[in-house]
Amino acid sequence: MDATLEKKKKKTWRLGYAFWFILPAFVLYTTFVMWPTFSSISLSFTSWDGINPDIRYIGLENFREIWNSPRVHNAIWNSILLAIALVVLENVVALGLAILVDKVRWFRNLFRSIFYFPVLMSGIIMGFIWMIILNYNFGVVNQLLDMTGLSAIKADWLGNPDYAMASIILSTVWKSAGYYMIIYLAGLQGIPQELLEAASIDGAGRWKQFRHITFPLLAGAMTVCIMLAMINSLKLFDQIAVMTNGGPGFATETLTYIIYRVAFGEGRQGFGTALGIVLFFIIVIISLIQIRVLRKREVQM
Amino acid sequence: MSKKSVQLGTLLLAGSLVLSACGGNNVTNNPPANQGTNNPPVEGAETPDNSPDPVTISIGYATGDPAGKKALEDMLDDFNAQYPHITITNYSETTSDSYLDWLKTKDAVGEFPDIIEMRDTKVFVDAGKLAELPEELHDLFAYLPEYEGKFYNAPIAANAPNGILYSKQAYADAGVTELPQTYDEFLEIQEKLLATGISPIVVGGKDLFHMGFWVNYFLINHVYADDPDWNSKRTAQTASFTDEQVVAAITDYKDLFTTYVDKGWLSTADNQTASILVSGKAAQLFSGPWMITQIKEADPNFEFGFYAIPDREGKVTVNGLPTLAGWSLSAEAAKDPAKVEAFTAFVQFFFDAENYKPFLEASGSIPSTAEKIQIETSEEMQQVLDIVADSSIEKSMMINQWFGENAIPPQFRNWFYKQLQDLVVKDGDIVEYMKQADTEYDNNVRANAL
Repeated sequence: MDATLEKKKKKTWRLGYAFWFILPAFVLYTTFVMWPTFSSISLSFTSWDGINPDIRYIGLENFREIWNSPRVHNAIWNSILLAIALVVLENVVALGLAILVDKVRWFRNLFRSIFYFPVLMSGIIMGFIWMIILNYNFGVVNQLLDMTGLSAIKADWLGNPDYAMASIILSTVWKSAGYYMIIYLAGLQGIPQELLEAASIDGAGRWKQFRHITFPLLAGAMTVCIMLAMINSLKLFDQIAVMTNGGPGFATETLTYIIYRVAFGEGRQGFGTALGIVLFFIIVIISLIQIRVLRKREVQM
Repeated sequence: MSKKSVQLGTLLLAGSLVLSACGGNNVTNNPPANQGTNNPPVEGAETPDNSPDPVTISIGYATGDPAGKKALEDMLDDFNAQYPHITITNYSETTSDSYLDWLKTKDAVGEFPDIIEMRDTKVFVDAGKLAELPEELHDLFAYLPEYEGKFYNAPIAANAPNGILYSKQAYADAGVTELPQTYDEFLEIQEKLLATGISPIVVGGKDLFHMGFWVNYFLINHVYADDPDWNSKRTAQTASFTDEQVVAAITDYKDLFTTYVDKGWLSTADNQTASILVSGKAAQLFSGPWMITQIKEADPNFEFGFYAIPDREGKVTVNGLPTLAGWSLSAEAAKDPAKVEAFTAFVQFFFDAENYKPFLEASGSIPSTAEKIQIETSEEMQQVLDIVADSSIEKSMMINQWFGENAIPPQFRNWFYKQLQDLVVKDGDIVEYMKQADTEYDNNVRANAL
């Protein structure tokens, strides 16, 4: 009887402590994140322009427009395309780089720093730099092509809809691969050497070792990387805003960009909020599916 | 237990000290240093002995090109020197591209400026944010833009016409000796320029507003020149973007952009166009007189001229009607008579010939005042002023500048320019694209009416 009472007391004491520790963060988070988020839900049913104090409710009209608008469909399609391309490319490149810096003998730290360096740059600044590199008239890429007599393949990398999205994807991969490389590198270093040694004694070549030992054992790191890459690519905004402004035409408009464009550029806060909520649900659904699939794979390993 | 409460108390105390320190700062910052009534009168100042109560008024404007920005800042300094009891707090920090965003943010955080350079008068009047222009200022201007029968703006400058800024060297190299009298002659010049290997026209299509120059040249000449009320008909659905004259305008636009515009136009920003022109990569730029200063800054020795492009029959119509924009007083400031007085003093000071003249010269603007102002101009600026003064040249407006019944849904402009970029890059079917424009326009009208 006494022992259980003691236990209970200890438990409530702990609860009390936990409560006080959580409280400040909880209050801040609720005030600055939860409250604005939930209060914006009601705005998605209005035609508010962001200024007028007279906010009018229009029911599901914004959502109906989203459903019917070719511009929104195009943006959703672009977001999906961007997400798939970025998740695949970023992870392939990051894994490649991780293996490279794991195996390299000299200047190991130098290479790690070089590959990680772009991550430290802000997306806006990186966007400006790439915009200048890819500029049709003054850009380094086209100048190099001119110098090497390859003027024929010169292109308006950010102004031609065939290349604009690819340019954004490649520059984003360049920027973020270093981040995922670090996660993979940690994963690689956690793989016991004995396993690889045993495999090589059994006669497994480099490729087989990678295919059957390294790759499966990186499942945990991969779940994290794919998850992060997916979320980051769905909310990619700064590069698009700086490099193409969603253009040419509507070619590189994604959901995040269009939300900003309509809400702030076109004075349709209500419609923008409705789009924000749609994006929120898309991200939730994709994340849930992804976690389920990838976790399953981890367990099977 | 007691230790805990001491700790908690210390934390609270520290927190409140930090917060009160911030607040204290604000308070001490508020009264400007030169407001004290005991201060000796500033030399040359015209303050009466019974100096009026000090007043602080805030200002917000879009900082455009560096020359115009500097001219305006100098003007504010001079104003402060002359009216020591009025302190102007300058909030301005943004360029024209994101000006509306910035104003909205300022409004949201309760820092909506008292004096505002207003470009979206309709939006802010409808939201009840603007006060009418004080009566005594009305006579200062040659024309006052009117919204629903009331005046809200003191026009900073007259609406400047757009025209071709061309390299004289490139024209000479192509054997062009005379300026075009019709649009077809203009196209012949493009052909000659193309033959010399130069890019005929540079366009800063990365900035959507730049699209407006060309798009509106075609719309003005094909549509608004004959029917200034076309927009209201479109709103009432009695006119359509698939109408013959609109399709003709867009066809000319598409042909020009496909054939004669510099290949990198979609990734070229507006602020790169002057360099591309002076570097000899392109021969012409279609823009406004504010570019004259920028071109001269990029290369003082560059020889160029300015002309308005005629239509196929040789008639010239440029944008130049007064727009619904200018200095405005916020509704909040209008409640304080001292601020209204300060605003009136500022507007009178701004448009006083002595102060207004250097501003116009530095920013390449056209005077909007009733009083004639003699500005010292370059040869190119004189060509612009001649166009403005020439009564045989009709004046019109850009698609988004019309107001009252002819106002388009504010969100339509950017969409339309993007749609037109898309049309060129995808070599789309004009009628099909114009049908989509109709749908979008009607949707916008419907959404705004809700």
